[in-house]
Amino acid sequence: MTADAPSRALDRDSGRARSPDRSGVATAADGARLAFDVYGAGDPTIVFLPSTPIVHSRQWKAQVPYLSRHYRVVTFDGRGNGRSDRPIEPAAYADDVIVNDVETVMVASDTGRAVLVGLCADGVWRAIRLAAEKPERVAGIVAFAVGVPRLAPPHPYRVEHSFEEELPVYQGWATVNRHSWQRDYPGFARFFFGAITSEPHSTKAIEDAVGWAVDGSVDAMLAEAEADFPFQREEIESICRSVTCPLLIVHGTEDHCQPVARAHRLAELTGAPLVVVEGADHMIPGRHPVLANLLIRDFVRSLPETRP
Amino acid sequence: MSGLTVAPARRWPSATTREQSRARYPDATGFIERDGVRVFWERYGDGSPTILLMPTWSVFHSRHWKLQIPYLARHYRVVTFDGRGNGHSDRPRTSAGYADTEFVADAIAVLDATATDRAVVAGLSMGGGYGLRLAVDHPSRVLGLVLFGASIPVGDRAPDAPAGPDASFAVPQPDDEGWRKYNAEYWRRDWPGFAAFFVAQIFSEPHSTKLIEDGIGWFLDTDPETIVTAEYAPFLRPPAEWERSSPTEGDALPFLRRVACPVLVVHGTEDQIVGIRDARRAAETLGAPLVEVAGGGHAPIGRDPVLANLLIRDFVLGLETMS
Repeated sequence: MTADAPSRALDRDSGRARSPDRSGVATAADGARLAFDVYGAGDPTIVFLPSTPIVHSRQWKAQVPYLSRHYRVVTFDGRGNGRSDRPIEPAAYADDVIVNDVETVMVASDTGRAVLVGLCADGVWRAIRLAAEKPERVAGIVAFAVGVPRLAPPHPYRVEHSFEEELPVYQGWATVNRHSWQRDYPGFARFFFGAITSEPHSTKAIEDAVGWAVDGSVDAMLAEAEADFPFQREEIESICRSVTCPLLIVHGTEDHCQPVARAHRLAELTGAPLVVVEGADHMIPGRHPVLANLLIRDFVRSLPETRP
Repeated sequence: MSGLTVAPARRWPSATTREQSRARYPDATGFIERDGVRVFWERYGDGSPTILLMPTWSVFHSRHWKLQIPYLARHYRVVTFDGRGNGHSDRPRTSAGYADTEFVADAIAVLDATATDRAVVAGLSMGGGYGLRLAVDHPSRVLGLVLFGASIPVGDRAPDAPAGPDASFAVPQPDDEGWRKYNAEYWRRDWPGFAAFFVAQIFSEPHSTKLIEDGIGWFLDTDPETIVTAEYAPFLRPPAEWERSSPTEGDALPFLRRVACPVLVVHGTEDQIVGIRDARRAAETLGAPLVEVAGGGHAPIGRDPVLANLLIRDFVLGLETMS
């Protein structure tokens, strides 16, 4: 009798706790194909936004098995990583395009209206934009590690080094640099996910995230970095204020990617409750899955339209 | 045991580690006392049967079962105790106080104190040896035995080998490299250093940082003098009247042949403390099933808790089917 140890296979994607009930491909207006998965059959539907293109939909691996027992869950690989197309033109990563991708996947997965869950800028800001522009689509938002740009200054070390110019040494935050990515993208990924997954006992979370990064594409990352972001602070704040659906904000005090001040500002603008997790880093859904899952569950239960 | 001196248990939270929050707290706790030595026990849940989670080498205390207790207590009644030498239990100051027979007698006293007629017994590493001796010496109290990473002497021994640790333990070594850290003088000089080394051998799989941190904490809940003293205690020495199949056979084999209850052996193929071949030998001698955890280290209960818990559950289900 031999028992295979769980989760220790070399094939990183084997041995999932929960496999999709349905997988499909949505096609965006520009022709980019977006791979999505549907789990469970409960109500409402929860759509998890990708933090694209640095990782793909497996970033939500600690949420899907639990939440799909209670709700219908949709995840998708954002353009530039996973099984989705990887355009290399900056225009393909424009803010409008990424927001539209969420709706494209909702339509293709027969999801009229959903609770949106996002992490960092690609997850949170795009969820807010969709809620502001298509309120009929969004029943609520859970915003982890608030990455709404310009709501508060970034961490100083995030803007200390040039992204475009050649630097004498690529280490630490200086690896967030075009030339560093082209030379040693895995090295950047190891630094980056180590820095933002800074709590003790995170070796597996870091290993996973580095794996999702190297599943992706440096060219897609560079295209995304060059994409147009047309909003100034005033307009961003106005969009945040215009969100009418319920919102829950969750942010760690030790988030080395997004400053907690952005979460406080978003809470002020929206009147939404803010859960500040003492000592937590940027990767709360992975590092504190039980907390994250129960916060999502309780938020969904609290929505007026889902109350029995 | 007369004249035995006993050092009191160090109070928790100790200077080195704080008691962590628990997923499940005991429904009852208490002490048994034998020959002036107090031993701390805990009881959880009220299902049936009772699972007795044995102490192991006294470098760990009963928190080494922390990933089993919350699950098992939902289905069964769980009893565990801090082995003498660590946790809330006293630290005898003579080697005789750490004999395997003392751990077995403590187990019987804890079963009595918790009104437990019979139990399924599980042990990790040396705890497998204590469980084995309990099953052999008190067959009426043991429904079945689960051995995880059992550290029991199954290999041949030199016919004239002295009992107890050899010179590499007792005599200072030229350096502290690797396994030369398994040395009394080094332990007294750098107990945290030995703890870090040995615990890393126990939890040798990737992504074990939390287990290692916990394990080092348990080492630091006791002290090197206690563990040096315990090192000279008798462990699985067959009584003289027992026949041996050969003069050189490992001391555990006569015990293994005398086990009457069902046994399950669970062992990691990459165990850095006790090689998988020892587990195969033990299982073969017992005529018991062996679960080899592919890629697993010395402590499947820590690194593969779901697997370990379900194996215990399935073992209990099998016992119920038989009865």
